[in-house]
Amino acid sequence: MVSWPHWLVTIIIVPLVGAVLTPVVGRGRPKVIPIWALGIMTATSLAALMLIIRVAQEGPFSYLVGGWARPYGIELHFDEFSASVGIICLVGWLALLFSYHYVAETIPARRVPYFYTLVLLNLTGMIGFVVTGDLFNLFVFLEILSLSAYALVAVSGEHIAEMAAFKYLVMGAVSSIVVLLSIGLLYSVTGSLNMADIASRLAGVEQRLPVMLALAGLAMSFMVKAALFPLHIWLPDAHSIAPSPVSAILSGLVVKVGVFGLLRVYQIFYGAGTYDLTGLNTALVWLGAISIVMGAFFAIFQEDIKMMLAYSTISNIGYIVMGLGLASQYSLIGATVHIFNHALIKGTLFLAAGAIIHKTGYRTLTDLRGVGKAMPVTCMAVSIGAISIVGIPPTAGFLCKWYIALGAFQAGKPAFGIALIFGALFIFIYYIRMVNSFYFQKPTHPEILEVGEAPLSMLIPILVLATLCLVMGILGRIPISFIEPAVIRMLGPFGG
Amino acid sequence: MKKLLVTALLIVAGIPLLLMVAELPPYGSAENATYTHVSAHYLEHAVEDAGAENIVTDIILNYRGFDTNGEVTVIFTALAAVLAVLLLDRTPAAAGEESAPAPADEESTQPVSIVVSFIVRLLAPFIALFALYVILNGHATPGGGFQGGTILGALAIALTVVLGHKEAQRLLPEGLKPWLQAAAPLTFIVIGLAGLVSVGSYLEFPAVNGHVASAVATFFSNIGFPAAEGLSWVRAMWLLLLEFGIGIGGAAVIASIFWTMEAE
Repeated sequence: MVSWPHWLVTIIIVPLVGAVLTPVVGRGRPKVIPIWALGIMTATSLAALMLIIRVAQEGPFSYLVGGWARPYGIELHFDEFSASVGIICLVGWLALLFSYHYVAETIPARRVPYFYTLVLLNLTGMIGFVVTGDLFNLFVFLEILSLSAYALVAVSGEHIAEMAAFKYLVMGAVSSIVVLLSIGLLYSVTGSLNMADIASRLAGVEQRLPVMLALAGLAMSFMVKAALFPLHIWLPDAHSIAPSPVSAILSGLVVKVGVFGLLRVYQIFYGAGTYDLTGLNTALVWLGAISIVMGAFFAIFQEDIKMMLAYSTISNIGYIVMGLGLASQYSLIGATVHIFNHALIKGTLFLAAGAIIHKTGYRTLTDLRGVGKAMPVTCMAVSIGAISIVGIPPTAGFLCKWYIALGAFQAGKPAFGIALIFGALFIFIYYIRMVNSFYFQKPTHPEILEVGEAPLSMLIPILVLATLCLVMGILGRIPISFIEPAVIRMLGPFGG
Repeated sequence: MKKLLVTALLIVAGIPLLLMVAELPPYGSAENATYTHVSAHYLEHAVEDAGAENIVTDIILNYRGFDTNGEVTVIFTALAAVLAVLLLDRTPAAAGEESAPAPADEESTQPVSIVVSFIVRLLAPFIALFALYVILNGHATPGGGFQGGTILGALAIALTVVLGHKEAQRLLPEGLKPWLQAAAPLTFIVIGLAGLVSVGSYLEFPAVNGHVASAVATFFSNIGFPAAEGLSWVRAMWLLLLEFGIGIGGAAVIASIFWTMEAE
């Protein structure tokens, strides 16, 4: 099973088929649509599992689409970083399960098939993005996932949703154009689009300025996609106004695409070997540190719980980007594992917030006072998510932040390790506010105590993710030892 | 003040870009990396390897067919986005926030000059024929599925303008609609999987290797047809099928987007 060579293309094609056929399957049978989407994601997860087992057994491998030799055709390349398909499938599957009742009750019926189409296309885009080994192909998948993400923000039809989606669209489209321009520049000096081929040819390129501009352009536009401060302005509205399962996907996965893009850029340039990346590293570390603090700072003043979570995403992206920029072995391991763990944590929090808002109809801290007694299980999941995201051991958030802090010391920049701890303190404050208002304050609306738990289709994803937040804290060694060889290989001679 | 700031910012951003352009490899120089590496290989081998005389078609449908597979998915995504954002429920609960439901009776009575209406209807079959020609001739001359599909979609829009919404929508029967809208990605997937099963990898075109392909070759030589020629014929059919799928799918998407935006 594991050695079947076609899993790498299957994992893209299955959700793609699922997406384009959803309107066909759903014609006149609206009840079948969510089950169809879940089935498709189950098959995709199977492919992801096979790929991850194979990469753990034999290391990175490639698939030549159309049978054309590299660099003439398109190469799909699966390395340890591509194992992110696992978290994409997991969070995607759980968000689809969460949508089962949620979407039927909140989204106009005629839009529902296209909602599922867009979710599946979005997941297809992300999976393609992380497994492709070709720079232009990367851009194509970036477009699929961005376009579907813009639409998913607007799909709820709430009055500011269109505006939020439009803001997202403008920022996203501009950054996509810059990605395309940078790919064009790299092509003009290397004559190739295959990432590994570009890396090997870049070393011999004489024209440094186009290459540096391409690097700057790619870094800048992926920072927009990752919502790094000060390029984050599209994120809070978009993530808080989207339907909650979409918020979980956007916040847990889609912003990571920007980080992953940065990671791929680093792989190319580290692979080329002859470029000095200190400038970019310093910029990333500083922007990361500022994002941590500013994201947490803005979150403290939010009343709306989803808005608070959206700002919290900005801080967490700050952690990951800082880890990338520190460029030491520990910090990179911490950053890549945090991509995974933050998706679990933010998935828990956004889905739980979605269930609370769905059941009570309120979304601000003042209105939601006392909800902890009405929805004990959901609020327990929120608490687990909160302690994870602050980084209290033994939860999933602790280990990666610890590694990033260690990395800061390893890179000889202890000040950033301290910034990181300060950020965690800020984050602690606003999550304490949330937990405090849920459990310990007198309800503003007494009728909130009558509200029961959400249906099982919503409760199960929340509980699974919350449990994983704890489990991944205890079994944190597994992802770390999985990603370690890839990080060492990537840093190569630069590694500390 | 704001304008001044923007101008200053644009100049600051523009200077490195201009410096960069000066440093780019000169256009037309034989040492230019874009001419010597991958594209040189394409120019030398494309016609015999990939099956179409038009090398651009070889690249977009064969060498880099997976990209085009993604591009048609982007087009389909655009349609799904339009439908997901613009479709409204006809129930009062959902329409409550809208100021007033769009007047449904106005659209069909839009006055169109008789001359325009007559000319459009007169030209319609010829435009359709031209679109088909562009689609099917893409492997030999500039053109292909994207261009032909756009012509076909534009024709559907022109017909909507002169005939009215109801009449024009009969071009796309309700039952077939979702199939036709997804035609382009579906064709790619079908052809791709056929390649996976018969030759050995996704989107691979029939060649001499692979068991199904060699069976086809044996079939051709059995009926007294040169096997190599037979295979290149199958390959050309493959390309035509892709072009056709892109064309029909593209046209369906363009027309559907127009109809949705017009109605909602």
